[in-house]
Amino acid sequence: MNSPALTEALLRMEREGLPSLGDMPIRKEAGEGGCGVVGAAASVPISGDVFLQSLRQMANRGNGKGGGVAVSGLDPSFFGVTEEQIRGDYLLAIAYLDPTAREEVEREFIEPKFEVDHTFDVPAAEGEVSGVRPPDVRIYFVRLRDDVRKQIGSIEAPDAAGAAGEDELVWINSYALNAKFYASTGEKRAFVLSHAKDLLVLKLVGYGDDVIRHYQLEGLRANVWIGHHRYPTKGTVWHPGGAHPFIGMHEALVHNGDFANYASICSYLRQVGRQPQFLTDTEVAVLVFDLLNRIYGYPLEYVIEALAPTTERDFSLLPEDKRRVYDLIAKTHIHGSPDGPWFFLIAQSVPQDSSRRLIGITDTSMLRPQVFALQSGEAQIGVAASEKQAIDAMLDSLSAEDPRFWSRADRYWNARGGSHTDGGAFMFSVMPQATNGKGARLVCTDKFGKEIAVDPSKRPLPVAASTAAKGEEARRMAASEENILERLAGGWDYGDVRAYLDSLEAGPPAQAIETLSHLIDARYSTGSMKRSALLSLYDSSLTAVVDGIRRTPTAGFVWTGHGEELPEVAGPETVVAIDARNAPPEGPESLSRMIVDLVQQRGARRLLLANTRGQRFIGCGLSADGKGVTIDVFGSSGDYLGSGLDGVEMIVHGSGQDQLAQIMKAGKLVVHGDVGQTFGYAAKGGDIYILGSAAGRPLINAVGRPHVVINGTALDYLAESFMAGDPLDNGGFAVVNGVSFSENGDLSELAEPYPGGNLFSLASGGALYVRDPRGRLSEDQLNVGEFAPLSPPDWDLIKPYLEENERLFGISVDFLLTVDGSAREPADVYRKIRPSAHHALTPEEAWVHREDQVGK
Amino acid sequence: MTDATSNAPAVPKFIELNVRKHEHALHEGYKNWPEMGFEPPAMGDARWPADLILSVWTQAETGRPPTDGSEYRIGASGGGFDVLDFKWAAEGAALAPDAPVDLSLPLNRRSEGGRRIDIPVPWYGAGMSFGSISERIMVARATTAKKWGTFTSSGEGGYPMGLYPLRDHVITQIATGMFGVREETIQWAPMIEFKYAQGAKPGLGGHLLGDKATTAVAEMREAVPWVSLFSPFPFHSVYSVEDHKKHIDWVRQVNPEALISVKVSTPTDIDMVAVGSYFAGAHVLQIDGGYGGTGAAPEIAKKNIASPIELALPKVHKFLSSEGLRDEIVVMASGGVRTAYDVAKCIALGADGCVLGTTELVAIGCTRCSNCERGRGCPFGLTTTDPELSLLVDPDWASERISNLYSSFKWQLEDILRRLGLSSIRELRGRTDLLRYTKERPAA
Repeated sequence: MNSPALTEALLRMEREGLPSLGDMPIRKEAGEGGCGVVGAAASVPISGDVFLQSLRQMANRGNGKGGGVAVSGLDPSFFGVTEEQIRGDYLLAIAYLDPTAREEVEREFIEPKFEVDHTFDVPAAEGEVSGVRPPDVRIYFVRLRDDVRKQIGSIEAPDAAGAAGEDELVWINSYALNAKFYASTGEKRAFVLSHAKDLLVLKLVGYGDDVIRHYQLEGLRANVWIGHHRYPTKGTVWHPGGAHPFIGMHEALVHNGDFANYASICSYLRQVGRQPQFLTDTEVAVLVFDLLNRIYGYPLEYVIEALAPTTERDFSLLPEDKRRVYDLIAKTHIHGSPDGPWFFLIAQSVPQDSSRRLIGITDTSMLRPQVFALQSGEAQIGVAASEKQAIDAMLDSLSAEDPRFWSRADRYWNARGGSHTDGGAFMFSVMPQATNGKGARLVCTDKFGKEIAVDPSKRPLPVAASTAAKGEEARRMAASEENILERLAGGWDYGDVRAYLDSLEAGPPAQAIETLSHLIDARYSTGSMKRSALLSLYDSSLTAVVDGIRRTPTAGFVWTGHGEELPEVAGPETVVAIDARNAPPEGPESLSRMIVDLVQQRGARRLLLANTRGQRFIGCGLSADGKGVTIDVFGSSGDYLGSGLDGVEMIVHGSGQDQLAQIMKAGKLVVHGDVGQTFGYAAKGGDIYILGSAAGRPLINAVGRPHVVINGTALDYLAESFMAGDPLDNGGFAVVNGVSFSENGDLSELAEPYPGGNLFSLASGGALYVRDPRGRLSEDQLNVGEFAPLSPPDWDLIKPYLEENERLFGISVDFLLTVDGSAREPADVYRKIRPSAHHALTPEEAWVHREDQVGK
Repeated sequence: MTDATSNAPAVPKFIELNVRKHEHALHEGYKNWPEMGFEPPAMGDARWPADLILSVWTQAETGRPPTDGSEYRIGASGGGFDVLDFKWAAEGAALAPDAPVDLSLPLNRRSEGGRRIDIPVPWYGAGMSFGSISERIMVARATTAKKWGTFTSSGEGGYPMGLYPLRDHVITQIATGMFGVREETIQWAPMIEFKYAQGAKPGLGGHLLGDKATTAVAEMREAVPWVSLFSPFPFHSVYSVEDHKKHIDWVRQVNPEALISVKVSTPTDIDMVAVGSYFAGAHVLQIDGGYGGTGAAPEIAKKNIASPIELALPKVHKFLSSEGLRDEIVVMASGGVRTAYDVAKCIALGADGCVLGTTELVAIGCTRCSNCERGRGCPFGLTTTDPELSLLVDPDWASERISNLYSSFKWQLEDILRRLGLSSIRELRGRTDLLRYTKERPAA
């Protein structure tokens, strides 16, 4: 926390130094909301080329009207500067929309203020992007001139304040530059892209990946990257100044979402004399962040709290001292708290300790999608993105570039916005290693500083191809029916697994696919090996098997892929193996339409999708033709999977994304992992089994007779407005088991079966059955629902589903009924939540029931 | 459905009497009502004065506007459409009374092509759910739509069987509760309407009070009978424009042929919403003003949140024009469009056409008594799904009346165009120069 004197001194500098912008309108220049964001932080530098793949995967989240990246932990050789210069100098990156402005800018805003150690003209491709010529960019590596530094003058505590004062002068200088050459003249000739130490921002009109291509950053290597596709909805004239990221001081922020209280935040900022210059939500967000972070010097936890306050039940569950501080923060800064759906990714360099960070913060209500991931081996990487498949795409291309990485993360998770559990925010900090000075170390923490780590006893995939110690045994086992799980639990190493998989691939495809499905789906001990690393090996193996079907005609299979003629399908037992690579995520050529055509025109009944990468709407459009169709989905499938299913049996061998099973009608959906936001929205029926957890708002407005088993938990708003009749009379229900598997395949109870609020809120039908043997759920999580004892008919109802759940996931009914080692009665373990009579829901007139008598 | 009366329960005497009187009034006008010893439950309000209601009844009876001097063009609200009049063309510039004029409207104007759907009149029917109205009324509206080559909208309450034969003329609405939405109802619809908001209650979801959620309604929605049914606000899967695009992509994946309509209310940034909808792939943008009808909106919301359609239309029209997108998207206006003159004024203010809701109900006997939210609140069997009350309306009779109203609207619009010297309704779009402000009642 800064001393009041320092804060006051910095604010005084701003008051005196900031030019007035006159009467700029308090109105956003563009309506926006949409966007795709991705960020990565790694202990070793990663290239622009790798980052590009991930951005490209989410192009459908933008509209080509704005894209940008921010990079920190920069490789000095790319710019032809020294290590000292890249860490110690301000990197003043200026976008020249009008190249003739350069001389004026340099004369007024660079030469009188800075010693320029080096200039670097960012190379650029010829021509336009999205019909607009991107700006020329020059980076000045600068230090403040001594005579300018003197202006800092009388601030106390010279060391820290000296740095703070210098930063403030640079910040004011950029603000004034933007005011003169961008904001107030209306001419928009030049603006500051970034001015931090060891952080660079580039942006243009186009997609995020266009930035990397246009400015030829494929070869740039850096520890931290964030990128953004913008989806603004106004104007045929677009401007790179409106694209993300926006900058504070040593940080850049990208954002998915929009605020309802833009004007309020502008007023809040005006109190300290700050006015937005680019008229977007994102800019005001980072202005608030910078104010709290740099001028007030709040710890990151408090900055996050000010942006995304802890509310309601979560607030009451905080420790007393936090409640006191958070209450003060809310009282002071609530008007600067962005209201609405948003997810921020921030790239930050911290000159004080030479660390760099990736920070991801979700709004309190978790209204935007967000996934975090961590992979830790010889090197570590943390990734946060709007979609899991973009994370997988990055890991995929990263593993191809750098053998220290592999294609699956150790952990994937969602933040719980404004919560007492994780605070809805995570940071990945790249810390320089004191020991050798060369490498770095990645640390992931939540808002409260709690570290997110992976099992340290597990060894990562070796960089060099390891030899198979038990290769002969592995080959023999591949040909036999022997259970290899024992070997995986102890005895085998990665080399043996590879040998086993090689032999499996050489055998009959049907057996290979069955075995691989089992290995991918099941949870078991992997000994000293990492499950994520093994999964990446299984993935490659499955790709090889499917490719084998392409190369060699195989009885019982037919192969197809994107751009191929629709193949003939011999009969209903024939498995159509689809290599989903390069299939567009939506549109007439999409994977989803291919599936519809195969089923409707070729009579396909069994489909296997390999290598999915974010393709949306899988299984949509089959309607009643889907009865009897089985679809196995491997890879990283996209949003809206299984929406509207009406009889299809769909098995997702991994995690799903957002909006799964919307309006699902009948059939079966099995997900061997987690599901994202608004899963089962307005579902009408079908049996759904989820091995892991659901993110926010699952099963909202579900009606009819959906039967759902969620083995993990859900973030918030589970089964709001559930209207699925009477579960004991052909209605619907959801079971929440509140258990999870460790990385090593051990099953255990979660600390709370459901940590959030608004459980079964305003529900008028159906029921929830929550495994809660310790009575952790409380009344205050409900809103109109009520607890009820589990009756024998309730247990008879859910038992068959738990038995099927056992068959699918190996989560035994016995385990679920065992508490602290002893078997219990179902009624002592499961609690029923049912709708309660409430005047908001029930009929107001007695006579409505007359319908029953009419016609009798 | 039309023969449902045959084995239906007997209608109680007092209701039958009430209806007979009402029907009589519908035919004769309320002039004779006093002698009948029965007070109508209501007779309009400032936006819908008694004159206007009676004029609509005349039109529904005769297919032409009244000739007895009754006002059929404007209401008495003292603002909006009611203080706008046309600047008629000078003598000689008007077209001859028999000159051909074109009222047809293409609903897909996107330059990337796709299915073309033209409707011969510049309007279609608004979404009213099974639940808000009875299946008989839905069938009546759809029958009229079929006869006229235009559309009606399913609303959000499922797709009753009675609509199946008429489905080429039924827009499937997908609203936030997605009640009764199945892949089939998406696949067989010529147009899909995403209802994001309703002008009568922006920021609030759908709300069907418990006593309208009869067993039949609940069955259609697969919910619990006699319990209030909420549609949330907003779509929980759509909190941003890229979600919106994804949502539209989903429907196009299920039915690649369907046109896409996006129904929104009129917030202050309606211009941004319009452009966003275009970029997300919409063919039609329906903007629903603050005077939109609804039975079940809280009083505080009605007319008090959304802007009037008269304000929103020019804003959207100008903005789309300045963005170079005006000829790429069709703007349909709704929310308080009562008369043929309102339709023409909407178009002059910048709409391509209009969506009619309440007017159609008035044609079949609504007196604007505002009891629509009750299960047995509607004395004339319109906004009810009560198995007894809904029998009061014969679908064929109702369809005939709505059809007659359409005839009258068509006749009037042709007349308006000729008097303005225009030969096509499309030439009228955005011609605010042809409007004038006046507090006086327009000359007959």
